[in-house]
Amino acid sequence: MKGLQVYFLGFAIGVNMLMAGHLSAQHTELVPSDSASMPEENFTHELRFAQYLTDKDAFEEAIFVLSNLNSLTLTVPQRDSLRYSLGWNAYSAKQLGLASRSLLTVSSQSPYYLKSQFFGNYSRAFQGQTDSAYAALNQLTVPDATLNELKAVELAGISLLKRDYDAFNQHRQGFTYASYALSTEEKRMDDYAHKLQSFKRKSPVLAGLYSAVVPGLGKIYAGKKRQGIASLLPILSMGLLTYEGLRKDGVKSARFISFGTLFTVFYVGNIWGSVLSVKIKRNEFNREYDNKILFDMHIPMRNLFQ
Amino acid sequence: MICIFLCVTCFSKAQTRWLARADSLLAQKAYFEASVAYERVLFNNASPQINFQAALGKTQCLKQQSLFANAVTFLSGQLAAAYPDSLSYRLRYEQILCAYLAGQFENTLSTIQQLTYLYPDQSAPPLVSVIQILSLNELQRWPEASAAYQQLLTWQGIDTTQHQPYQQLPKLKSQKKAQWLSTFLPGGGQFYAGKPGEALLSIAVQGAGLYFGITSFLQGYYISAWGIGAGLFGSFHMGGVRRAEVLVQQHNQKKIKSFNEQVKAQLLETVHP
Repeated sequence: MKGLQVYFLGFAIGVNMLMAGHLSAQHTELVPSDSASMPEENFTHELRFAQYLTDKDAFEEAIFVLSNLNSLTLTVPQRDSLRYSLGWNAYSAKQLGLASRSLLTVSSQSPYYLKSQFFGNYSRAFQGQTDSAYAALNQLTVPDATLNELKAVELAGISLLKRDYDAFNQHRQGFTYASYALSTEEKRMDDYAHKLQSFKRKSPVLAGLYSAVVPGLGKIYAGKKRQGIASLLPILSMGLLTYEGLRKDGVKSARFISFGTLFTVFYVGNIWGSVLSVKIKRNEFNREYDNKILFDMHIPMRNLFQ
Repeated sequence: MICIFLCVTCFSKAQTRWLARADSLLAQKAYFEASVAYERVLFNNASPQINFQAALGKTQCLKQQSLFANAVTFLSGQLAAAYPDSLSYRLRYEQILCAYLAGQFENTLSTIQQLTYLYPDQSAPPLVSVIQILSLNELQRWPEASAAYQQLLTWQGIDTTQHQPYQQLPKLKSQKKAQWLSTFLPGGGQFYAGKPGEALLSIAVQGAGLYFGITSFLQGYYISAWGIGAGLFGSFHMGGVRRAEVLVQQHNQKKIKSFNEQVKAQLLETVHP
């Protein structure tokens, strides 16, 4: 917690320095120069302008202003401020590719370093780059217990996204369930791990066989009850019509052949649909839990860094 | 004192230059870039007059990009700033236009009310009354729209007896009636909604299902009679009821739109002959 206070203090000092820079800036030429040189007061002014746009939720406009700044002539702290600001605006505008690229290039000397690393790697994980996000966060050194616990939550979350339960169990050792900013999400992560591990992987072949015996039963087995019941009715009707054609007009009748063909198409189609429904249901389940995990990885970061 | 004077002079010149640059981008139809340039003028917080020009420019950029709702929000933020009454009046006027263009009709009416409350001494431009009437029309608040229309004509010194569009309000049809008609009389709802072609098609399909069901039953094909005949009839009957409701909705929307367009044309002709 002490480290977090130091971090916020650093952040406040950074902002104050920017403010001081702006106040000392001379009101000379405020039109940005296209040349390679970027006077310090002009850079500070542009950064404050971008912050003004960010405060108005005009993230796209802020990105435009920041992207037009020439970073080659900037000092390291200025470049860090630029990358952090650009990354944060991109993150707010849901441009996660740009967000992770910018945030993860903020240097370790910057007061925004830890926040940038957490949000940058979260953006990576959100885009499905779980391996690189995991590796980067795992190597991150954090200064205090609270941020260390946050790191454990993020790593546990990424482990769950990768469905690596050994890694999850290793990182959940860092959960204390005592921090106001983390305890709810820690409990939820445990719950997600339990639900994911107890999810029974159903067999597509078995679903197909069930539907071959009783049309629709395979879909009910896969977890799609309504679809199962709904598919039973047309197949049953076709079967009865085929039976009626056979009983009244014989096996060579047009009525029997027409309804028999339709019945066969519906019957085979339903078996194939039942096989696919297992995969669809599994994907839906995975997507639902991925969204929940990402949501619960995000909340503690927002709580601790803002 | 000399330093302050020089600083202020330089600053004003820089702002004017920024404003000119933003205007130039707007003229080149680079609306997004112009929008950022106008924001820059506002950020640098120049004189109210320059800020006002920038606010109008930014509003123009947003309007050109069809971001009318964003323009309403932007102008709300600007109205919180300290502008002289004459300038904030113009910004409120722009806000009314943008709210109407954004389809925020309730908000438009509320903003017009604010305008008349905050500036009781100033007579609103005729276009504000036009927008008020059009917004009331869109909300189908025709008695209020009629009163506002008569008031506008009186202000304009036009003979109110010659222009009476609200005496012939659009006759709207009842969705419930269409639903009941289609329930008990196949195709009846579609006829009522003014779609005889669809009504005949509905009758033909339902009739075919019924005919197939009855003949199949009489020939001893009981499953076919039930599965195909009754199934077809039932499905198309239920579909027909729902379709009749949709058709009445479309009919009413068309009537309302046509009436509103007619009033709009008359109003614009009255205000800008």
